[in-house]
Amino acid sequence: MTKELIRLKVNGETHELAIAPNKLLLDVLREDLGLTGSKRGCDDSSCGCCTVLIDGMPMLSCVALATSYQDAEITTVEGLARDGELDPVQEAFMSWGGAQCGFCTPGFLMTTHALLEKNPDPTLDQVREALASNICRCTGYTQIYESVLAAAQKIREKRKNEIAISK
Amino acid sequence: MTMPGFRVIRPSSVDEAVRVLADNGPEAMVIAGGTDVVPNLQMRLFAPRVLVDIKGIGELRGITCNDRVGLRMGALTTLTEIAEWKFVERCFPVLGSAVRSVAGPLQRNMGTIGGNLCLETRCLWYNQSEFWRQSLGGCLKKQGDVCHVAPGGQRCWAVWSGDSAPALLTVEAELEIAGPGGRRRIPLAEFYRNDGMNRIALGRGELVVAVHVPVSSAFRRGVYRKLRVRDSIDYPLAGVAVAMKVDGQGICRAARVALAAVNPAPQLVHAAAERLEGKRYSAELVEEIAHEAIRTAKPLTTSASTPVYRRDMVRLFTRRALEELWQTRRGNGEKRAG
Amino acid sequence: MGEMNVIGKRMAMTDARAKVTGLGRYADDLSVPGMLYGRILHSPHPHARIRSVDTLAAEALEGVKAVATGRDAPTPYGILPIGHDERVLALDKARYIGDNVAAVAATSPEIAEEALRLIRVDYEPLPAWFDPLESMKAEENWIHEKRAHNIEKEYHHHFGNVDEGFAQADFVLEDRYYCGEVTHAAMEPHSTLAVWEPNERLTVYSSTQVPFYLHRTLSAVCEMPMSRIRVVKPLVGGGFGGKSEIIPLEVAASVLAKKARRPVKITYTREEVFYAHRGRPITIVDLKLGITKEGRITAAQARIVQDGGAYCGYGPVTVLYSGALLNALYDIPNVKFDGFRVLTNKPACGAMRGHGTVNARFAFESMLDQIAARAGLDPVELRRRNLLKAPCTTPNGLRVTSYGLPECIERVAERSGWAEKRGKLGKGRGIGFACSHYVSGAANPIIRSNMPHTTVNIKIDRDAGITVYSGASEIGQGSDTMHVQIVAEVLGVRPERVNLVAADTELTPVDLGSYSSRVTFMAGNACLNAARNMRAQILGPVARQFDCETDDLEMRDETIVSKNGAGVSMSFDDAVALAMVGEGALVAKGTYAPPEQARGGKFKGAGVGPSPSYSYSAQAVEVKVDRETGQVKVERVVAAHDCGRALNPLTVDGQVQGSVYMGMGQAVQEEMVWREGRLMNPSFLEYRLPTTLETPQIESIIVESIDPEGPFGAKEAGEGSLAAAIPAIANAIYDAVGVRITDVPITPERVLAALRAKEEAEKGGAR
Repeated sequence: MTKELIRLKVNGETHELAIAPNKLLLDVLREDLGLTGSKRGCDDSSCGCCTVLIDGMPMLSCVALATSYQDAEITTVEGLARDGELDPVQEAFMSWGGAQCGFCTPGFLMTTHALLEKNPDPTLDQVREALASNICRCTGYTQIYESVLAAAQKIREKRKNEIAISK
Repeated sequence: MTMPGFRVIRPSSVDEAVRVLADNGPEAMVIAGGTDVVPNLQMRLFAPRVLVDIKGIGELRGITCNDRVGLRMGALTTLTEIAEWKFVERCFPVLGSAVRSVAGPLQRNMGTIGGNLCLETRCLWYNQSEFWRQSLGGCLKKQGDVCHVAPGGQRCWAVWSGDSAPALLTVEAELEIAGPGGRRRIPLAEFYRNDGMNRIALGRGELVVAVHVPVSSAFRRGVYRKLRVRDSIDYPLAGVAVAMKVDGQGICRAARVALAAVNPAPQLVHAAAERLEGKRYSAELVEEIAHEAIRTAKPLTTSASTPVYRRDMVRLFTRRALEELWQTRRGNGEKRAG
Repeated sequence: MGEMNVIGKRMAMTDARAKVTGLGRYADDLSVPGMLYGRILHSPHPHARIRSVDTLAAEALEGVKAVATGRDAPTPYGILPIGHDERVLALDKARYIGDNVAAVAATSPEIAEEALRLIRVDYEPLPAWFDPLESMKAEENWIHEKRAHNIEKEYHHHFGNVDEGFAQADFVLEDRYYCGEVTHAAMEPHSTLAVWEPNERLTVYSSTQVPFYLHRTLSAVCEMPMSRIRVVKPLVGGGFGGKSEIIPLEVAASVLAKKARRPVKITYTREEVFYAHRGRPITIVDLKLGITKEGRITAAQARIVQDGGAYCGYGPVTVLYSGALLNALYDIPNVKFDGFRVLTNKPACGAMRGHGTVNARFAFESMLDQIAARAGLDPVELRRRNLLKAPCTTPNGLRVTSYGLPECIERVAERSGWAEKRGKLGKGRGIGFACSHYVSGAANPIIRSNMPHTTVNIKIDRDAGITVYSGASEIGQGSDTMHVQIVAEVLGVRPERVNLVAADTELTPVDLGSYSSRVTFMAGNACLNAARNMRAQILGPVARQFDCETDDLEMRDETIVSKNGAGVSMSFDDAVALAMVGEGALVAKGTYAPPEQARGGKFKGAGVGPSPSYSYSAQAVEVKVDRETGQVKVERVVAAHDCGRALNPLTVDGQVQGSVYMGMGQAVQEEMVWREGRLMNPSFLEYRLPTTLETPQIESIIVESIDPEGPFGAKEAGEGSLAAAIPAIANAIYDAVGVRITDVPITPERVLAALRAKEEAEKGGAR
């Protein structure tokens, strides 16, 4: 198969890559860019381990052709931390036991990040709705719910402080 | 699982897409959100030479709605966009209820209304890997000559497993289709062929461009009830969409009932419209319509749940939906299936 | 024990940062230059003789670097010494759809798959066995010639006298329970990277719970001494028992790497994970129970048949657990057990969380409710009246050293509002109760020896950093963190000072693996012993310098101080420097072997069930049942777990909640569906794990019975709470709508059928 030269913007960096046209975004991230944080847990778009943000929207990179997303801003779990500082969602999953084996964690983090961008004060039911495409086999979700709600609180406090400072 | 080899063409206009599709005929295949197509490609259910990625066609995006032409949804409108469209609950609650039930939130972020209306039919004996299917010598639909669901028959019973189609049938939606001969509009009901192997009436070079819903079916009360094991991710094991207009006196002024996942096509329960119109609520009438629904439903062993149970649930969900819509002041699509 | 600084504190796992940043590496994340991609050819027949395998066309394909068949690795293996009946690639027969027949290594996955299509296998299909009850009657065409009537193993145990017991009973009940097959479904599909090193050694990175058993097996099958093989466990994306045997891809990758003299990686597709499987078998339990009208259990009798699939695996252990752990939860004077592990032409079953105990416990706890109803007793009260008086030894030789069950029961009853809610939740709602327990590791190793089950080493050098070397396998349960906590506590340092090197056969001493919930108890005790040994090495010179006894000193907050607060104060760094004078780097070792008296009786099969300690769990579940659809919704779960001592309450809560979740999945929706040996749902779309929408917040309660032999009193937390979830749900359904479901999963169809049958019966009764 003839490879195609594509441009992909991932975590703020633009990459030029020669890839086969049938290559999935997940495989380009993992194999061509060495960003192995996004995982493959199933083969039928039903587990959420591969979730990345495409223009801020959480999507399944295992069913996305890489060539289709050349004009998009793609964010993977490796792009969540800024200047070595973890995102509040990452901090919360650490302290609240949101990650056990960690394999589903990147997907949960991306979905959670998108949820809290949109709604920093979700109810438990809203959290459960938003995370319903991401499967975790370890936690029974309880500590994930706690992690998400804790992250939300932290984000709200952070925003309040930022507003206070800017005043 | 690996992907088969193919070329990808990314047309930037509908005309260009139509040209590519016409040139390549059955060797071409359209991809939009990818949630249905990509797993099927990995299972080698399709082996297109050319994949036509339509995501770059701006004309296919977006929702417009006004009181002259009604609702128009571009084929690439995502299910999330429809679910979050601010008028969906007010104008077309059955549609909101149905799209919110599709798979899970991430699949809805990618999946498009066009894709959901063109979904491949599903069957436990078909939606399997190449190895799995070959261990059985294939099936009628793919690389074989036996239907494992109805052995001896020459008909494929793979089921229609989209949720939005039955909902759109209840509001008399139409499809706008572009093709080499120009654009045409057909009632959605005529789009489906009730054949598991040849599910939709789309000719060479044709592409679904948009879905239209007439003004006349706006403001119907509506709900979609979906039988599924889990409240997320699952395809329907059965689905019942009901939309109806009830006047101030409680008299039904219009009603449609449609089913998913119990036939190779989404199907209107034809008797429902005429029998309900002009009537007041009665438990007997509702039971009669529910009975009509199970006469329409022909579930076979294509999915995890038994045909008997799915028929039972079609009857129950029809009854529950009608009662809910008729007996409350407004249909509320929020109630969960079952 | 004085106040503790690290133990008992909620602590983020030491590898949490690697996991939340996406930088931690799992096996499939690894790649090395020159790496080939391996793929395995599977049998399309459930039972077939293999006449020939023609690989010439595959070998000729450009990019193919090695093709292997059964002849390349004919040595049989299996996790149990009595069950070496598997070959990595079938030699003579394929025994299930998905059995491994040939393997290919190529420069790309696509080429490897193309090569598989070119391999021609000449099969002679044989009649196959799918139903365990039919299979065990087979007179010919046995799946393994040496296993007559397709019975892998049978055991018959009788303690006390059940006939006398039933004669004393006022109520005797008999029933049959059926549990469908379920699987671990860890989110990470198995993956192995086998690297053939330039010095003719083999390094294998694999998603395993048992790197040291893998090490042994690779040595045998690859015909290389263990000293030339290194097995490394990277991060593992969940195990639950599914990675606790040697999985075919691990051996296949190694055989291909050796043959191609190149690195080879194989990662299973999700479908292949279902064939590799080793999950919980279809189980048929015929149970008979007798109680007096006061509610004392007089006798229990169980006949248990397990559908083991085509190979032995852990099978005999699974069936023995189902019998042995009928005991040690309640005080039952007379117990009879007949267990059969049967072979069928389906993928092999094995160890899955709650190994062997879960389905038997479902039957037992369901029947307790049934018989309580018969006797007019409150189900919780019935359980209270049959408690053990620990410490004690059960009739089948299980030694119970700590027993938090009474407290678990009381706290769950209280928190759940049991007394106010039972029978009073209103239409379609109900509450159910059940208990369960599990071992803290097996007292007898799989391969019998008198060596310790675990050794842990600790090294401190001039940097005063503490490096712990342990063979224990972190699989997400928190075993790495547990080691760090224990060492930090004993040496009085911050956890950040402790670095752990784990599960690498070249660097770390042997630990038997992460299975049967053995790690906290066994590796934890070895680690504690090593840390105490190290403590003595550091405190000795300090005591000499200050002319006091080591007993007068304590280590806390990174310093060595006098216990009475007077005199000595020395920083940890200075103390280490002092201890190294004339000694060099400090090295300490600790081991653990279960005490002789914990190892059980002498009868056939007595080796399985004994454990140095048992965990206990009680649960209450509230459900809502839709009478018209049969759908069951779990609305609330309260689970109390006696883990001895919670070394890290954060991870104990996580383990308990995760166990409940897995039990809930089995209870209401998970099942591997078979048609003629063909798995109908080898995917996550069709094998339905519960999502967030089916899973309520699970309320966990930690009960600490402080085990006399556990490290700081700790025992297992990762499995014991699973089994109770299933009968608690069944019992709650009974409370809600008055039907008793004895088949699992409790699907809407089963509930609806039972409701209709009940209606019919009531109508009939009214006439």
